[in-house]
Amino acid sequence: MVNVLKGVLVECDPAMKQFLLYLDETSALGKKFIIQDLDDTHVFILAEVVQILQEKVGELMDQNSFPITQK
Amino acid sequence: YAEVMLCECYPLKMKLRVQLQCKNLHEYLRELSPDILDRLYNHPATCLAVYRELPALAKNYVMRMLFLDHPLPQAAVALWVKKDCQKDHDRCVSVLTGLRLWHSQQLQGGLQGMVLNPVFKDNLRTALLGGGKTWADEGSGLGPDRHARDVESLDRYAMERWEVILHFMVGSPSAAVSQDLARLLIQAGLMRSEAGEAPCITSAGFQFLLLDTASQLWYITLQYLNTAQSRGMDLVEILSFLFQLSFSTLGRDYSVEGMSESLLTFLQHLREFGLVFQRKRKSRRYYPTRLAITLAAGITANPSSSSSSAVNGTPGTADSGFIVVETNYRVYAYTNSELQIALVALFSEMLYRFPNVVVAQVTRESVQQAIANGITAQQIIHFLRTRAHPVMLKQTPVLPPTITDQIRLWELERDRLQFTEGVLYNQFLSQADFEVLRDRAQGLGVLVWQNAPHRVMVVTPHGHSEVKRFWKRQKSHT
Repeated sequence: MVNVLKGVLVECDPAMKQFLLYLDETSALGKKFIIQDLDDTHVFILAEVVQILQEKVGELMDQNSFPITQK
Repeated sequence: YAEVMLCECYPLKMKLRVQLQCKNLHEYLRELSPDILDRLYNHPATCLAVYRELPALAKNYVMRMLFLDHPLPQAAVALWVKKDCQKDHDRCVSVLTGLRLWHSQQLQGGLQGMVLNPVFKDNLRTALLGGGKTWADEGSGLGPDRHARDVESLDRYAMERWEVILHFMVGSPSAAVSQDLARLLIQAGLMRSEAGEAPCITSAGFQFLLLDTASQLWYITLQYLNTAQSRGMDLVEILSFLFQLSFSTLGRDYSVEGMSESLLTFLQHLREFGLVFQRKRKSRRYYPTRLAITLAAGITANPSSSSSSAVNGTPGTADSGFIVVETNYRVYAYTNSELQIALVALFSEMLYRFPNVVVAQVTRESVQQAIANGITAQQIIHFLRTRAHPVMLKQTPVLPPTITDQIRLWELERDRLQFTEGVLYNQFLSQADFEVLRDRAQGLGVLVWQNAPHRVMVVTPHGHSEVKRFWKRQKSHT
């Protein structure tokens, strides 16, 4: 038997994947969205969360950055 | 065989950013219908302009055949290049065929021969050797112009006109353009307008603003030509006129005598772009500006090389070198052009403003804001480099590497996830089953990703139905 699932393949670096797993475990998007954890750099997710996921990643990067310039 | 539908197929916006596409002259002509192309070659100026833009090898071919009245055997043509240059030969053949400059014809002995398009051949001969009708009506019949313009004031006029359009795009309150032009900008996707509101700029428009003048002009012209027919204009007529303009002399006046109604409308549009100068709407003479003359010349070349230097090098424009970038992310722009300041402000934070200089700072937020608006890091860097102050030009590299690297890194930050829509196949019962299906998907070119040990694969949504059909057939056999 073969199982067939529609969704979106995400390719990213291992650190980013851990962040995705974290978002999934804590249901930060309101629900689980990872369909299958494929390998270190790939996960398969629900298509509907792509937009909001981009925003979450943007937020993470905002938190991780500090101003390098002085005015 | 169970098919689990987890979610509907969403129309996904996978590519979040659109790249501004700009075709060159040949790519544009090649998409015209054969009928229009053949009519276009009825004018010597067009033939010469098309010939001018051919690759060197293709020019050579045309010259070899220009004064032959009989077809040449294909085998003879193939002998013109050495074996190891076959690729160049193939490219020339495809260019010449695509533009309908030559076609094959049966020779008497049954062999295939090549012959130049007779219309093109006759008109290129005329263009090179003289003869035929005069291309443009030089204003000599009108007598000397009391309000004659010199080259310098024409250059100034052209840049002023063009900058009004750019100002309109960045939303300067003082800039106003005609209804026609506003509609063209919207049709071109450079601006969008909500009902009842003033048009505002789109992400394609932002990218457009950072191009050099020659590329901008060519882009707008293409858009104009694309919508010309819906405006009830004859494409062949205005294209011929455009090519003819590109062979006119800067600083000379030409007469509008004998121009048709739609050509006169076209002339008014060119006037608004700054391609021609006409003192009054009803004036009986016009002066082509440098923008019109460089428009069709050198557009197939790298847009940032020959043509742009001709335009940017014009005196009186503040386009050449005024930006200093320091390693502390500060940008000093020595200009008082509102437009240039507005452009710098697209990707930086303004700090101070003095009569002849503005100080801005490139920050993570400002660059990310620009990127969200559709500008790429490459475009920002290109903008800074092409407008670098002469002092900056003495250094190698021109821009501090810390700045260029950081701008690129800020862009990459947003691209840490790559999304590909697809269909996942898993839970195969045997390795053999998996391999059969995977090889089939690979053969169809629809395999996105696979992992043999875990027996998992992803195919494109588009390829899914084909792979599914194959799998059902496969099942019924065993």
